[in-house]
Amino acid sequence: MKNENNILKWFDNELSEQDIKELKQSEDNNTLEKIAFYAKQMQAPQVDAQKALAAFKERKLTKNEPKVIPLNFKTFMKVAAVLVVMLTSSYFLFFNNNMAFETQIAQNETLTLPDNSEVILNASSKLNYNKKTWKNKRNLELDGEAFFKVSKGKKFTVTTTAGTVQVLGTQFNVKERDNYFEVQCYEGLVSVTFNNETVKLPKGKTFRVVNGTIETVADFNAQNPSWLQDETSFDKIPLSQVVNELERQYDLKVSFDSVDTSQLFTGTFTHKDKNIALQSITIPLKLSYRIEGNQVTLYKYEN
Amino acid sequence: MNENKLCEETYFNNFYLEHVQSASNFAFYKCGDKDGALDFVQDAFSKIWVNCSKIDFTKAKTYLFTTINNLFLNTIKHNKVVMEYAKATPYLDKTNESPDYILEEEEFKKKLQQAISLLSDAQREVFLLNRIEGKKYREIAELLDISQKAVEKRMSGALQILREHIENI
Repeated sequence: MKNENNILKWFDNELSEQDIKELKQSEDNNTLEKIAFYAKQMQAPQVDAQKALAAFKERKLTKNEPKVIPLNFKTFMKVAAVLVVMLTSSYFLFFNNNMAFETQIAQNETLTLPDNSEVILNASSKLNYNKKTWKNKRNLELDGEAFFKVSKGKKFTVTTTAGTVQVLGTQFNVKERDNYFEVQCYEGLVSVTFNNETVKLPKGKTFRVVNGTIETVADFNAQNPSWLQDETSFDKIPLSQVVNELERQYDLKVSFDSVDTSQLFTGTFTHKDKNIALQSITIPLKLSYRIEGNQVTLYKYEN
Repeated sequence: MNENKLCEETYFNNFYLEHVQSASNFAFYKCGDKDGALDFVQDAFSKIWVNCSKIDFTKAKTYLFTTINNLFLNTIKHNKVVMEYAKATPYLDKTNESPDYILEEEEFKKKLQQAISLLSDAQREVFLLNRIEGKKYREIAELLDISQKAVEKRMSGALQILREHIENI
């Protein structure tokens, strides 16, 4: 086919009238002209668009819409709550550096601290310390009574609600009970802070506060606190404090029948036999007692 | 994702009405079956409606023709495409009303009809899109998603075959 380009242009309506005339004359393009003309008259079957649309709607198609799953806030919160519980519990399980010890009534416990210091916990007492910071700060919290054998090292601090005891390396006993705070030094030097006042306590000295007043106490010679030998010694201690200690060692409930609980007691009671212990308290004070189960009543036998 | 315009019923209906004729023409050029052509078109529109959220509405027309094309390729048998002439159309030489001339022209029209049915699918669709729809090669290329050069090649081939057949008979 000659002049292919022009013919194509002609069919694409890109050719000018002049060029079309020239093209028609140049050769016998009669057939092409007829093709162009008559092909235009052809038509595809007409579609009734509205009818077709109606037929199309008959198909009842469902749109494939993208699924949108809304963030269910409740579920989200549930998951979050479970996660929080799990994380915190696992934290306390695996990363808890807080060491806590507690003794029940009539129970002693010997502990060894990370620096090999030794602590003996008397009955119904609590002791806390942080394992992680122990290297830098030897800090302990005590609620009750304990005897400490501190190995030499950095400052060793025992904090109680009543006062603070600081040492470098010694042996001492701390007793912190209701309205009663007592520190006894068995070796070395102990510094006791009570109400912002610091007292240096050498060997054999006792620092005692009863009902908020500091008392002077005679020196002692013992190597260890008496409770380590399963007995408790008192030196001019009010009867109420003595009885409190008794209750801690024997699981007893003591009541008084017209007895002066502020009278002072000096002596010792054993931890091994409650009758002997009660006798050793009551006889010197001219008292008597009766036991019903774990209820003990003290009374004056003279009257 | 924003709500696609195509998923709105009114927009889709307009889109349908606008393109159903040309789409069905296109399908007819391919398969030569009037009812079959409309079936292709309806199927293609169904696909668009079902997947409306995934189709860019500016590309919907191309998608429509491509889908028809694909649907057609998937069918195995198709009829010979015989185009009908519109009724009462003028002859090339409007002034010549001699019976001989009219007979000659009617003869030619029949030959053309026959020759077109002999074209390959690719050639026929380009030729008819150009002639009947009056589309530019560029537009056809866009519609079929092929190059303009390819359209021209098909057109040229179509013209050559048509001419040979008509002149030889």
